[in-house]
Amino acid sequence: MTDTARVDQGRLLHFEKIPRVEEVEELQTSIEDQTAVELTEAPDEESDIADQYLAAYFQAKPTGFLIDAQTLLTTREQRDLEAFLNDHAEESSIDIYFYVFGADQRIPSDIRKKEVADQHYSVGKPAAVIYYYIGAPQRSALYLSPMITDRVSAAEQRRTLQFSVMQASSRTLYFDQIEAFLEQMSIRVYWMQRMTQGTAEKTLETIPDGESARTFPRRNTAPEIMPGIPSWMKRVGGIIVVSLCGLLLLWCVLAWLGSRRRFSFPEFEVESRLGGGHAAGIGAVISFSSQAITPEMQRNRMPDYMRRA
Amino acid sequence: MADANRMFGDGDVKLRSLTDTAGIFRRDERNRLEDEMERIGIVFPQVFVAVYTGRVGEIANLRQFGFWLLNRGLFEDIPVEKPNAAGVMIVIDPDSKAAGMTFGYLLDPFIEEQDTFDCLSRAHSYWLEGRYAEGLLKCLVHLHKLLRKRSRRARRDPECFERKVASPVAVGDLVRRIHEGNRPAAWQSLEDMEMEVEP
Repeated sequence: MTDTARVDQGRLLHFEKIPRVEEVEELQTSIEDQTAVELTEAPDEESDIADQYLAAYFQAKPTGFLIDAQTLLTTREQRDLEAFLNDHAEESSIDIYFYVFGADQRIPSDIRKKEVADQHYSVGKPAAVIYYYIGAPQRSALYLSPMITDRVSAAEQRRTLQFSVMQASSRTLYFDQIEAFLEQMSIRVYWMQRMTQGTAEKTLETIPDGESARTFPRRNTAPEIMPGIPSWMKRVGGIIVVSLCGLLLLWCVLAWLGSRRRFSFPEFEVESRLGGGHAAGIGAVISFSSQAITPEMQRNRMPDYMRRA
Repeated sequence: MADANRMFGDGDVKLRSLTDTAGIFRRDERNRLEDEMERIGIVFPQVFVAVYTGRVGEIANLRQFGFWLLNRGLFEDIPVEKPNAAGVMIVIDPDSKAAGMTFGYLLDPFIEEQDTFDCLSRAHSYWLEGRYAEGLLKCLVHLHKLLRKRSRRARRDPECFERKVASPVAVGDLVRRIHEGNRPAAWQSLEDMEMEVEP
């Protein structure tokens, strides 16, 4: 049955073309090729994750869905990822646990990843455990709770990871890769959930409508301001700027109030002089005929008889 | 005043607060000047400013003309509650290249001739170049500042200004006060004692 026909029958709300198995294998080949290229560019040696972090990663079931024991992500990135994973957990019956490692890091061989996943996630709410290497999504690994593996075929599991890696590989920036990876993973996990409930077919060739609309919450993409400057300095700078703005505002308010202020003069009884009812003609007269002479020299002095007694 | 009446006429003169008989201001300059004059009238509700430009004749006549115009002028655009005594009159004669500033009795205690000279000096360099409006604006801005300062000072110490315009002490009073000041101390103490025993 074609995708168009499925949409027509209402079995699918959305039609999105996804590569067939053959195409996937071709893409997989290309990914593998790309991996080989990247491997030549990658550091020659992979180093084991430091022992001090192993306990935080693997000793117990984590309390959050994002496990970044080495703080490889910034606080903002962590917050965005946690928000996404929490949202997913609220909507889905399968949680996603996202372990983050460095691109050139390696999980020590004495830690059996599959056993760790089985140990922590075999009971309780089913989970999809992802080991993700920042900047090297092709190294990612996916482990599923036994409850899921019983009902979802190994091919489907492999395909889930492949598509997520493909989505991530299409991006350049490392966090964009993580976003793309998790968006795709969330969709696939949702479909797995339906498979385990028996409400979906055993293979996923199309993505249901609505699921395609599930996207990673947009983080603030504004570049970090002055990345080279320490945060305390930025804070002090911020306080100074805010203070200056406050002073400026205060000055504006005072200037506005000053402009509304009215001035008055006390009225004294002044004796009339020179027969003037309103004024006695006391004031300066200057000439502006010559540029060479100062105003003082061009001043026409008031006669003494006009001065106030 | 009688001399001025003989020279310029003894009737009242109707005019606007900005009368550009000499035609030295452009329309936009007139607007700017009127705005500034109006601003002074708002900030100092008792005061108004009037400007007259025109041919007066000799420099000696300019002071007389300002004096006469402020006494005889009926300013159409000035509220009636502001008498001419509250006015500041600026006269510019572009032909004789002279300008004068006169003020009414209201400002008499607060402004000196030197103050008016300072105001006109602000405009001097502009007027030398024929930039009458700009010079006049500078003059008005300085007048604004001056009036503000004097108003504040008058509020703090009104007696200081009142003394300036107080009538001179009559000769008889002066003699009496001198005598009072020179009375023997014994007389003074006796008077004090008498005041103390009074019920």
